[in-house]
Amino acid sequence: MPQYEQHASWRLEGGGQIIDPETAVKGGILGGGGGGGGLPTGKDGSLVVAAEKIDLRKMIEELDSEAEDVPSVFICPISLEPMVDPVTLITGQTYERANILKWFSMGHLTCPTTMQELWDDAVTPNRTLYQLISAWFSQRYLQMKKRSEDVQGRAAELIQTLKKAKGQVRVQALKELHNIVISHAPVNKSVVDIAGVTHLSSLLGPFTSHAVGSEVIAILVNLTLDSDTKSNLMQPAKISLVVDLLNEGTIDTKINCTKLIEMLMAERCFRSEVVSSLSLLVALLRLVKDKRHPNGVAAGLTLLKDIGSHAQVRSLMVSVGAVPQLVELLSNPKWELKFIEPALQILDDLSTTPEGLSALKDCPQAIRTAVRLLMNGSDVCTHHALSILWAVCKLAFDECASLAVEAGLGAKLLLLRSGCNPEMKQRAAELLKLCSRNYSPTVFSSKCKLTRTIQ
Amino acid sequence: MRSMLSLSIVSMGSFCSRQQPLNEVDAEENIQAAEIDRRIAQETKAEQHIHKLLLLGAGESGKSTIFKQIRLLFQTGFDEVELKSYASVIHANVYQTIKILYDGAKELAQNDPSSSKYVVCTENKDIGEKLSEIGSKMDYPYLTKEIAKEITTLWNDPAIQETYSHGNKLQVPDCAQYFMENLERFSEATYVPTKEDVLHARVRTTGVVEIQFSPVGESRKSGEVYRLYDVGGQRNERRKWIHLFEGVTSVIFCAAISEYDQLLFEDETKNRMMETKELFEWVLKQSCFEKSSFMLFLNKFDIFEKKIQKVPLNVCEWFKDYQPVGSGRQEVEHAYEFVKKKYEELYFQNSKPDRVDRAFKIYRTTVLDQKLIKKTFKLVDETLRRRNLIEAGLL
Repeated sequence: MPQYEQHASWRLEGGGQIIDPETAVKGGILGGGGGGGGLPTGKDGSLVVAAEKIDLRKMIEELDSEAEDVPSVFICPISLEPMVDPVTLITGQTYERANILKWFSMGHLTCPTTMQELWDDAVTPNRTLYQLISAWFSQRYLQMKKRSEDVQGRAAELIQTLKKAKGQVRVQALKELHNIVISHAPVNKSVVDIAGVTHLSSLLGPFTSHAVGSEVIAILVNLTLDSDTKSNLMQPAKISLVVDLLNEGTIDTKINCTKLIEMLMAERCFRSEVVSSLSLLVALLRLVKDKRHPNGVAAGLTLLKDIGSHAQVRSLMVSVGAVPQLVELLSNPKWELKFIEPALQILDDLSTTPEGLSALKDCPQAIRTAVRLLMNGSDVCTHHALSILWAVCKLAFDECASLAVEAGLGAKLLLLRSGCNPEMKQRAAELLKLCSRNYSPTVFSSKCKLTRTIQ
Repeated sequence: MRSMLSLSIVSMGSFCSRQQPLNEVDAEENIQAAEIDRRIAQETKAEQHIHKLLLLGAGESGKSTIFKQIRLLFQTGFDEVELKSYASVIHANVYQTIKILYDGAKELAQNDPSSSKYVVCTENKDIGEKLSEIGSKMDYPYLTKEIAKEITTLWNDPAIQETYSHGNKLQVPDCAQYFMENLERFSEATYVPTKEDVLHARVRTTGVVEIQFSPVGESRKSGEVYRLYDVGGQRNERRKWIHLFEGVTSVIFCAAISEYDQLLFEDETKNRMMETKELFEWVLKQSCFEKSSFMLFLNKFDIFEKKIQKVPLNVCEWFKDYQPVGSGRQEVEHAYEFVKKKYEELYFQNSKPDRVDRAFKIYRTTVLDQKLIKKTFKLVDETLRRRNLIEAGLL
């Protein structure tokens, strides 16, 4: 087919206007207008060569999150995705080449949208449509790149301001940086470069005011931090500041602090001394106790669960009263699984220490709650509740076993014993044997009546 | 009969006229009483907006120095007259210090007869005796250039230097070196103490002193108003008067962390750090501070930094499980964190679960450093203001 050159738009007789891709896109016929610059064009009006060379597929991928308003004519009717190689059938309908060929290979010889029978399976590349799609996406792509550079430029500017500013100016700059990071971080986690991140973390220290500290942490949790930054943040003075903010901040600040500590805990060089702080544990328990903010409770429980996985910190956790508080939290029947599971796991971890076991034994509601949650609906709950009951009953058999049985443990264990998980079956069987020691068989089986478990 | 009637009419008349003055007096009294009530109400309301801060801590923990710093930072500071009045205090401190050093040298020499490092040179012995004599009196003579020179000579004696480096067993004040180094200036006839001299001057606080100040400065009215109370630190009948401070906004407890190897002034068998520990425990248990925030100032960090390189923390019973990690900066930080954790532990062990809500923050201070105190106080101010807003439900 002869190539035709692209001219500026010229009129045909009859009043029609032949549209060339750039004008179509720029002029908004296909909705290609919009903020920012248009397509960069050379002197002769053709698209800049570089823009064309960018792979269309790559552009579509990168723009994926923003391309909600792709014109419908660009979309393949089969896959509902933008077309990178549009071909037209003899019926005049256009599809993505790969998709329509697949359709044919499945034995169909019809046009998918019109259902007409095809007497010829020829596919003709639709160059015009390709040009339009390419131009539309190129424009969007370049806009996005420019915006992103703008944003990075603005972020760098703000970092420079922060190097010199004090007081209110500093707080304002941090707030603006925070807003930028929030709106762009999901797409571009390196909005703030390494030097910027280093400077931000240097702002945290023993004399950092609350206003500055809370903004810096809010920014840092939205960025990817490298190992050096994370090790730097693990210094005791900085951790003390984070703990203070966790104690005194708004609910959002508290959640950000928990997220930051989680990020640090994921680091390889993390040592448990960093979180062996009574103030931190007390602050987290306070967060978990605050029923008005369920997202705070969730964040607090997640961090406590991660901390509890480090054996050295467990006795500290018990000493600040974690056990009674968690039991109290679990005793609320309205909590969803996402709160119950971590709380049970923490108690399970704590029950591996002697102090934890003794605290569980002394807590009156603990056994009843564990029995109630034994068949709460998730395997995780069952596993942890069973583990706790096993540990406590083994330790203080006399006090606890009868309590548990009275609470309906027997029937539940019978059910578990006939369940599928082999490990749980065995545990349940052992516990059943243990609890039945003090009772005669008839008495015990009466205590295991199924009706008890239905609550 | 008419006369009797007229008499009664007359007396009736006089009755009536006597009522009026009584009413007037009553009315006046009522007005005055109402005025007094109104003023009481007004002042009570104003009082409620004043945050009361109580400085507590063992003797020589730095409470009074903080007090002076606050005066310098947020009030008009010391005027010429007051500065001049400190000259005699500083001279007294100088005499006391050199006496302690000389007597201390003699004591250490007696306890260790084999060594001669505490034996003062014969030339300086006379000076020593003379100064010791002066120091034991109630009134001190003015510090003249001659006496200053004699003191310097004695200070430079190796025995005295050796005694100074073992000062923890004696009651050598922390600022001994500062005094000895500035003797020439102190002995000027026209000597007027500087602000720094005043900060170093050592006077034992008796009774209670208070100042009222506003951190933002007198000009801006939007600042919070604080009233700071300083009570003496030595052992006395604390339990009798402590309840007078019920409901203070915040207790600022000063603990000098550099004194882990020193002994009490009042009782030379007791380690100072242990005394501070017991005092802190006692304060935490008092019900009158149930609602007060606790700000713990771990003070004298500059002296701690230097001491930790030479004297290990384990000499203090409370820190006997300390493991050193190395030396230099890292060791200092590690030791500091250890002490901080110990105090934190102590706090949580002695706070009932329902009191866990009160604010508790630890600050590292060197109260002689004005900039540091200013920064620290800004943080304290911010914390207390946020606390207010949270309690009022605005945050």
